[in-house]
Order: sequence, then structure tokens, then C-alpha cells
Amino acid sequence: MTRALVVYCHPQEGSFAAAVRKVVVSRLRAAQSEIRVRDLYAEGFQPLLTQAEWSGYLDAPANRAPVESHVADLEWCDTLIFIYPTWWYGLPAMLKGWLDRVLLPDVAFLMPKAAGETIRPGLHHITRMGVFTTCGASWWLTRLVGAPGRRTLMRGVGFLLKPRAKKVFAATYLMDSATPEALARHLQRVAAKTDRLIGASAAPEMERAPAE
Amino acid sequence: MPRALVLFAHPVPESLGAAAHDVVVEALQTRGWEVDDCDLNAERFDPVMTAQERRNYHDTAINAAPVQPYVDRLRSADAVVFCFPVWNFGYPAILKGWFDRVMLPGVVFTIAHGKLAPCLDNVRKIAAVTTYGSTPWRAFLAGDPPKRLLKRAVWGTVRPDKIRYIAQYDMNNITPDRCEAFLARVRKEMEVF
Repeated sequence: MTRALVVYCHPQEGSFAAAVRKVVVSRLRAAQSEIRVRDLYAEGFQPLLTQAEWSGYLDAPANRAPVESHVADLEWCDTLIFIYPTWWYGLPAMLKGWLDRVLLPDVAFLMPKAAGETIRPGLHHITRMGVFTTCGASWWLTRLVGAPGRRTLMRGVGFLLKPRAKKVFAATYLMDSATPEALARHLQRVAAKTDRLIGASAAPEMERAPAE
Repeated sequence: MPRALVLFAHPVPESLGAAAHDVVVEALQTRGWEVDDCDLNAERFDPVMTAQERRNYHDTAINAAPVQPYVDRLRSADAVVFCFPVWNFGYPAILKGWFDRVMLPGVVFTIAHGKLAPCLDNVRKIAAVTTYGSTPWRAFLAGDPPKRLLKRAVWGTVRPDKIRYIAQYDMNNITPDRCEAFLARVRKEMEVF
């Protein structure tokens, strides 16, 4: 059975990101997945990697103590899903802080053992990743900048997962002037991508979703 | 006297990043810059954009109020130097939060009829001084998000005359000699900044 960890980051209730989250969770539930949702704003996650944490950064397993429950969720899941708004072409500080504090040595990656070695991946139990975001900028401008947020997750975090892990990404652009129809279409796309991620067959109402 | 805002985002004083920050400040002062040395961790900058700030984000009459001192410091700078470690192919949260909360519409850019236009005219030079755990090859494969954010998004939004990205990669295998070489490179860059 799929075990999905949904890391959700948006400050406002009733935001479009909340609607995306609802769709993702409902598709996961329809596929009988086990689901854990971490709503970083709601739980008042503290995103700063402090001097004390940095000093004990390499000291596994003590390094996980300040974020123990998040590490437990990360180790539990086989499917990792991020839902967030793109700010300044990247992750909100809150979500970036979750990466900084939870993706620890001996949790998410293994530090070099000998001189000349590099960091090795540590999340080989995660076989699927979904990234769902909303951008104020246009698709064109986001691409021109090189979509740093997308790369931080799809590639930076992607490196840590099982090799050839299944990954899906969906973004909607020009958020501030999006029409209700465009937003509805995006939710259909999110549903279809979530289904594809967990290998569920499309629900009947989703089969009418327009092709991408 | 030209004024440089130095944004420092490493929590640990004995880090190479902190040593590089010291070199930046000293070299700039030697060359006649007035340095506004902003240690985000020491100042306990709160990087989390609140729901209310998000609601007011596009209202340029009030969006800067929660971070007014930081906006004022940015507006009175002729140059900005970012000193930070790269973690997980991105900025530390405290620096990303400075972008989220301070680099606002009406401060750095305007949006009129859906078009972005720069509006921070005072900052003419920008530099980043940074350290990566990653090797250059792996950073390249990841698309080097922190470099793109600076050299494309910040460059495109602020349009400075000069932008420099000074990076030390592969920190996990660094030797004392290479630390010295990095600090020397930082000093040289800042002396001609």
C-alpha cells in the first residue's frame, strides 16, 4: 500500500494551494493510500537551522532529535509530495527550512566516508515524488530564470531518492490573473498527475480532463 | 561614500562562510565602502511570510510595513553582497525569507498591466559569496538553483551594472590550502568590486 507524506506550505486558509492539497489527498485516498499531511504553517514549523543544530549536524542519530516526528514521517513514507506557492522563483522560506532541518545526514544522505568521496543518497525507500506549485510569474519567465524551485526539489531532492524514482510536476502560472476555468483545469491536471504518480486508474470524472 | 549592504546568513561563527564574510566586510571597508553589516541570524530576522503579509503582498502602500527597516537598508545601499552557504541546492531559509518578505512589489519591482519592471535604482552592484557541500559537477546537474536565482532572477529584476557569483564547491573535501585560496579570491574580488 502506498504511504504518502504530503508536505504542505501555504500561510492562508482558503488559498488555491489548499484546493490543490484537497485534490491530491482525495486522489490518494481513492487509491487507498495511507496518508500523512504536514501543514507547516498550521503547526508553526520553525524553519531556522540554528547554530546548535549546525554544530551537531553530523552527529547522527542525535541530529534528528529537534525534528524527530518529521524524520519519522520521512522514513515512513514511500511517496513524497510537496505542495507550495512559488515565491521568488523558489520555495517559501518555511518549506526551504523544512529541507534544511529534516533532510539530515544519515536520514536523507550519507556523508563522505573517505577523502575524495562525495555525498551519497539516503532516501532509497522513497520511490515516488510529486511537486505541485503555483507561480505568479508566467511560464515563459519562470523558464527563463530556470525554475530554481523546481530544480531544488526535482533534482536536488530527486538525487536522494531511489534511482529512477517516479516523479511528477505540475505548476500553474500567472496566478494573480488566472481565470476560474484555468484554475479548474489545473486541478484536473493535479488529479491526473497524482493518479499517475501512485499508479491509480483515472476516476471517471477525470477521464474528461483535457489533454495537456 | 558608497554604501554596501552585506547580508550574512550563516549561523556558525567558525565556519568558512563566516570567515569569507569577515573578508568581505574588511576588504570593502579598506576600499572606502561604508558597510551595513546585516547578520540575519544575529538580528533574529523572521523569514516566515505571514498570511496577512501574503494578503497585502501586492498593496504597495502597506506591504513593506512589517519589514520597513530592512527595506530602508536596501534602499540606501549602492551594492548588495550576499554571504551564505548553499544547503539542499538553495539558500538557507533565513535568506530565502529575506527575499520573500523584503524583495517586494513596490520595493524591487512593479507590476503594471501584468508586466514586471525594475524599481530599485540605487543598487548598482551585486555579489554572492557562497559555499557548497556539493561538487561543481553535481551542482551543474541540479541546474544550480541558487546561482540561477541570483544571476537570472535578481539580475533581471534589479538590473545592476555588475554581478559576481563567487563560490567554493565540495566543502566536504576541502583542504586548508583551498580554504585560504577561496578567501584570497573573495578578497581580490571585493577589492575591485
